[in-house]
Amino acid sequence: MDCERGEIRWFCIIKGIHLLSVNTQVNPVQTNIEMKKKIVLSILFISCVLCVQAQSSGTNDGWLGEFKGGIRIQKAQKLYWENGLSFDFSSPKIADSRIHLGVSYVTTRLGSAIGSNAIKQDNFLISAGYHFRHQKQFQPFIRLNTGYFHADYEEDIFDGLPDQAFLFSIDAGLSYEFRIPLTFSLSAGYNLISGNGSSGPGTLFPVFYQMSLFHTLLTKK
Amino acid sequence: MAATNRFLRVSVIFLLVMSACSKSPEINNATMLDGDQLFDPSLYHPEKYLVSVAIENPSAVQKNTPVIIAVHGLSASTFEWDEFRAYCNAKTNILVSQVLLGGHGRTYEDFKKSTWEDWQEPIMTEYNALCDKGYTNINFAGASTACPLVMDLIKKGKIGENGMKHIFLVDPIVVPSYKMLTIIGVTGPMMGYLEATNTPAEEGHYYHFRPQETMKQLMDLTQIIRKDLQKGFNLPSGTGMKVYKSIHDPVAEAVSAVLIYKGLKNSDGSNIDIEMIDSDLHVVTRLAGRDDITQHDRDIQTHVFDDMYQILMQ
Repeated sequence: MDCERGEIRWFCIIKGIHLLSVNTQVNPVQTNIEMKKKIVLSILFISCVLCVQAQSSGTNDGWLGEFKGGIRIQKAQKLYWENGLSFDFSSPKIADSRIHLGVSYVTTRLGSAIGSNAIKQDNFLISAGYHFRHQKQFQPFIRLNTGYFHADYEEDIFDGLPDQAFLFSIDAGLSYEFRIPLTFSLSAGYNLISGNGSSGPGTLFPVFYQMSLFHTLLTKK
Repeated sequence: MAATNRFLRVSVIFLLVMSACSKSPEINNATMLDGDQLFDPSLYHPEKYLVSVAIENPSAVQKNTPVIIAVHGLSASTFEWDEFRAYCNAKTNILVSQVLLGGHGRTYEDFKKSTWEDWQEPIMTEYNALCDKGYTNINFAGASTACPLVMDLIKKGKIGENGMKHIFLVDPIVVPSYKMLTIIGVTGPMMGYLEATNTPAEEGHYYHFRPQETMKQLMDLTQIIRKDLQKGFNLPSGTGMKVYKSIHDPVAEAVSAVLIYKGLKNSDGSNIDIEMIDSDLHVVTRLAGRDDITQHDRDIQTHVFDDMYQILMQ
């Protein structure tokens, strides 16, 4: 994944998503290893995209893009609050800042499971979103997300239950960039893979809502 | 003004679409429980199903005999515990009271109008009747939706200390497997009802059509119980619980057992007893009326009945 030019970067994105999507049906013994591989691949994939972006700055007019970090609050319809961190990157070099790449982690450990019996579950996500009206403050967007889900049932008697899954979801919403370096976004999404009784973790629900508040950490345009 | 007219036009079209989608199902009165000809037999002969009605004046021995209130799940009927009653009849030292949930066993319209509180009411009616008659060894066996109904009674303190000796939950539903139920409030009015794939033998004992209003009631009930379990509560003292949960249940997620295990403790704070069962059936104790039953399914049913019996005899 040593890509340097824009076209090759797109190849990397497609290849990264492909690597995450293959072998979703594995036997239970291998599932844990496969999921860990997917996490590592996710991190490598995002790192690659960001690093290549940074490296390319040496040959142009310096670092070019906008990197934001912040908090995300997520609510699954009829289930838990899952909160955590989210990072967002966009650049004029990537579809004129219309494409936003993101990494996020949300968990019930920072939400419903605090001081309660809610199941502790984690969502590791990478995402690629398309922003309309990208030069305006008010930007509608659509986004594809993929990643890894894990639920911790804590007791050995539940070892036979599915507790991890490959995540693949789509969401759409609105983003608002304040004149100060803050961005607020709201979206509603749908998990294309969710628990259905015979496969998938039971607390992976299809419909979710998200609210994110980002602070611009790095910017150079 | 133009925008208002456009909004009104869209609203009228939306309402027309919604009303068109919400039409009543085509019910075969001769074969379906949903119709106005087949009713649950406990409505005609309560004395054959309810211990409180069957035994006018229980003897001292009968008062100390274990009585088990057996309650079926949503859209089912007393039929769901017929096999357990037959098992207990062979044992002769257990009394079984098969309770029909409120709104069930009657017409589709009755089912549609009922709330989860209506479903719950006959459980308390039979429980109170047994208490009034002096029974001292009252137990409960619930399948699927009967489980959140009895957990709600415990949470509200309506079953107090030493009120029940043992509670058996078979495939309790706290989280549904069919996840589209989570948006039934939005999709329900457009669908009107859900349709089940009953076998011909099940048609007279299980509703074929499940009104969206009823499915919404189910979601309301499971949400209440899920939140109660999230906060945590205890069984009354003198009451034990055992949960039997099918792992690949197409109706009630197996993770429902995790939520019950984490959220509901014995009166002394210890864990309740849970057994995860390698099955893809919902309500593993009912095999009658199903197609393609295997020896593995029969073994599970026998194992659960034997286990319940042994616990009752302790």
